[in-house]
Amino acid sequence: MLVFDQLNKGDRNLRIVAWAMLAGFLALAAQLWRLQVFSADRYRATQLTQSFKTVRMPALRGKILDRHRNELVGNVPRFRLDLYLHELRPQFKAEYQKIKQQVLVAKRGAVGGEAAPEENFLAHLLSKFRKHKNAARFTSDEVAAMERRARFLVVSNTVAAVGARMGLSLPLNEEALQRHYLQRRFLPLSVLPNCTPAQVAFVTEQGGSIPGVALEQVAVRSYPNGPLGVHLLGHLRRDDGEGEDDSSFDYRLPDYVGGIGLEQSFDRELRGVPGAKSILVNSAGYRARQAEEVLTPAQPGQNLVTTLDRDLQKEVEKALNSVKAGDERGAVVVMDPRNGDVLAMASAPAFNPVEFIDGVSSARWTNFFMAEPWRPMFNRATYGEYAPGSIFKIINALALLENGLDPAELFTVGADPARPGRSAYHLGRRKIEDTAPPGEYDFRRAFIRSSNSYFIDHGLKLGWEKLLAMGHHFGLGEHTGIRIGEEADGDFPTFSAVQSGRWKQGSSQGVLADVSIGQQITVTPVQMAVMLSTVANGGKVFWPRVVDRLEPADVLSEEPTVNVKPGQLRDRIELPQRVWDLVRAAMRDDVLDNEGSGKASRLKDFAVCGKTGTAEIKGNGRKDKVTWFASFGPYEAPRYVVIVMVESGGSGGGTCAPVAKQIYQYLQGREQGTVKGLARN
Amino acid sequence: MFAPSLNRREPRIQWAMWSAVLGLMLIGTAFIFSATGDSDAAANLPWWRYRAFGHVLASVAGIAVVSGLCLVEYGRLARWALVAYWASIVLLVCVFFFGASRNGAKRWLDLGPVQFQPSEFAKLAFLFALANFLSRPADELRLPGNFLKALGMALLPFGIILKEPDLGSALVFMPSTLVMMFVAGVPRAMLGKFIGGGALLAALVLVDVLFAPPGWKFVKLEGYQSRRLQVYFGLDFTPRGATPEQARQARMLQRDTAMNVDQALISIGSGGIVGKGWREGTQHSLGFLPRLGAHNDFIFSVIAEEKGFLGSMTVLALYGVVLFMGIRTAGQARDRLGRILATGVVTLLSTHIFVNIGMNIRLVPVTGIPLPLLSAGGTSVLCSLVAIGILQNIHLYRRHH
Repeated sequence: MLVFDQLNKGDRNLRIVAWAMLAGFLALAAQLWRLQVFSADRYRATQLTQSFKTVRMPALRGKILDRHRNELVGNVPRFRLDLYLHELRPQFKAEYQKIKQQVLVAKRGAVGGEAAPEENFLAHLLSKFRKHKNAARFTSDEVAAMERRARFLVVSNTVAAVGARMGLSLPLNEEALQRHYLQRRFLPLSVLPNCTPAQVAFVTEQGGSIPGVALEQVAVRSYPNGPLGVHLLGHLRRDDGEGEDDSSFDYRLPDYVGGIGLEQSFDRELRGVPGAKSILVNSAGYRARQAEEVLTPAQPGQNLVTTLDRDLQKEVEKALNSVKAGDERGAVVVMDPRNGDVLAMASAPAFNPVEFIDGVSSARWTNFFMAEPWRPMFNRATYGEYAPGSIFKIINALALLENGLDPAELFTVGADPARPGRSAYHLGRRKIEDTAPPGEYDFRRAFIRSSNSYFIDHGLKLGWEKLLAMGHHFGLGEHTGIRIGEEADGDFPTFSAVQSGRWKQGSSQGVLADVSIGQQITVTPVQMAVMLSTVANGGKVFWPRVVDRLEPADVLSEEPTVNVKPGQLRDRIELPQRVWDLVRAAMRDDVLDNEGSGKASRLKDFAVCGKTGTAEIKGNGRKDKVTWFASFGPYEAPRYVVIVMVESGGSGGGTCAPVAKQIYQYLQGREQGTVKGLARN
Repeated sequence: MFAPSLNRREPRIQWAMWSAVLGLMLIGTAFIFSATGDSDAAANLPWWRYRAFGHVLASVAGIAVVSGLCLVEYGRLARWALVAYWASIVLLVCVFFFGASRNGAKRWLDLGPVQFQPSEFAKLAFLFALANFLSRPADELRLPGNFLKALGMALLPFGIILKEPDLGSALVFMPSTLVMMFVAGVPRAMLGKFIGGGALLAALVLVDVLFAPPGWKFVKLEGYQSRRLQVYFGLDFTPRGATPEQARQARMLQRDTAMNVDQALISIGSGGIVGKGWREGTQHSLGFLPRLGAHNDFIFSVIAEEKGFLGSMTVLALYGVVLFMGIRTAGQARDRLGRILATGVVTLLSTHIFVNIGMNIRLVPVTGIPLPLLSAGGTSVLCSLVAIGILQNIHLYRRHH
């Protein structure tokens, strides 16, 4: 080696020393190469994880609009008062020193007064040798407790100072502060979740003088129409991300998930894609600088344009709520029979979705939300299963007429010996009461007087298979596929289940008699709306449609609008036109004829066609009733289907028909232009 | 080959060495500023109280002292070696009585505006004294008595500094002593026995510190010292049969002790090949590197993080130039004294460099030994420069008799 040649070859010892040093340097260089070149990526990754915290940012949730783009559910900004802890660190330290001094004084006092100063020089010298001269030592737990106390004092003083200037006392929970400190001290502490505009103005003007105080704007769900359509639209509840695999985030900012209704079914679309931001933290876990870096911006959710009509929905809820003034339990579905669009859907009782933004207390949850028999969160229109009672006679009638029933043929309704002037049907030893008076009945009269005897007698002759087949055409016993939260399917057996005895109600003639008049089976109001639409349009069974389209939040974005095709057929019932006409005319007469059970829904210049129903059910130990009015109109060119169901009502004609009348009256007014609103579409 | 060619005049000043020294001083100033500039600015210090400026001041003072020293030939200085040696011993003892305490160790003397670390001065005084003693004819060194005397000269300051406690600074005496004896011609058999005995003793001490049950610990090390050794040898802190609470505390203690080294490794490793750029390193600004150590004991981590593998190689190369020129000086020295003294200085410097950088990259256990010329700390910079000045002095008077 040329360089080493300069060293005297004869001087072996010096050369050995030089070689040893070179070996040392090579060892250093090798280890540096290993660290900085070979393992650099690993160390770089470690350095990033320890100095950056990634935070999940929820996206702005999409809006829900009605068919005329009126806002049903939107977002409003809310101002939150935040306290950034890292700006208070100098104060934490100062306060800690103060507390430490106090504790020290207290400790010395306990030991026996101030330690006497050393008397002479020798003692002074010797004292230097003592390891820890009267220094009170603190255990790590004591230090942690003093630090915690210091933090709480500083934060509560700051919060109190802010509160005093705003003229209100702000609560501060020491436990919550400690939790925040331990888990996410790099994020600000929320002091006041919802500031009034006056408070916002105040903080903007004067907040700068208090260190660490800042305003943060967050979006919260807004309900411009209050609780309107809440079961259909749904509510939001806090989402803790359980079961979600986001281990890549150190913290998730508060997010919401749809609880029921459209918010639940279309949660993914409405929610958008959450973003991520990173916060630089120092070794103490505090944020190292105020600025945050957005790694991926959140993509706002899509807007949901529904088939609903806001004004109609208002009218529907008004009509439903007029039944028993505050104690209703019922549902209304308004559908367009031409394409299966849901125009309005209401369930009573309702609740206010705003309550869920800040969370519901457990007392409120059990005493209000879960209270029987009301259960306000329960969407009775899609999730309530009820015996259809006499409105099932529509299906029975279609099955009978299809299978050759002569509508003119007379049937004698027998008298009830026990009740003079009233009638009953005798099946073996069992007696089934009939509300129609004894006498001769053809199909029309039996239908509008809702004669049990007529439909039981013919139903028994028709048999299980044909009756059930007609029900299955309408999708009974199955979901309608409406996709608003959870949906019930109703209890409507298949023929094979009855035959094999798998259906728990049995397969006896008595059960068949009950089924013929809509007992022992259950349906949902929305199933009935689909069924009535089919009757009104002459055989088309639609998939009901609530969502018209999903629009990108940004109108200018490249993303496509997703349209949901209207009028998608589920089934088509091929029956002679004569059969449809006979049933529709009978339904018209049920309203028009003074003998008809649905005459309470009669309107001038608008031919409502309907069928009432009153089903007896045994609920919680006592007899209860479910009352129905299933209708469409106008007779000449059906445009609306209105299903009204009220639990514990008086009778279908007495309780439900007037509700339907009110709704038709409004619709008629809108079509004639006397009521404001858009009738077209 | 080694003897300077007669027909070529070699410059009296070793420019290559001093260029490297200047480069190291500039690098030191730049990265001390990187590590401390922000907090000095935050503390509203005037510019002349910045720690980086303090480094410049110490360097300038060092150059001035070196210039003064070079006026006097080293042979003449060596006559005062024993006086300086005993003065340094007195100063070391003074530290016990009047020393300022930092982090539980007394290493500094407080002289009003400046604090002075006598152990640094003691190293230089010791080098002079031992070189002076060993410069007698090689035959005399064969006598075991002289060997023991030389050993005693080393063990006295060694013991006192060990007691401060400053294990690292104390151990630094040993390589210089051995290498100087080796170069002076102490018989290898004697040295071999001494090294063998020392190694055996060190191994016994280590085993006692690391593995002995509490009742069998004969060597009393400070708690942090034995913990650092445990971390270095990768031993688990949790004693067998510990309660969960004890195990938790042991784990916390282990994490805290390992924290500095782990963070130094992360700093150096994350620097990669080219580094993050001057003042762009995050490990010290975010406090992951020890706040008290980033600008002195851990300055190499800062340089390696901000300038990467290229930066750390540059530092090694500059040190290499200084050390090589030192050995060359030893080879060209006019007498045994110059040769032994230059070898001692070079060994002292290289030990500091190897131990400090080695501690940053986990080659050696953590000890509080500064990196010559780069670490902030007036006494260290001054003494490093004086040490290099001694080399210059030996070079300067290599032909005068």
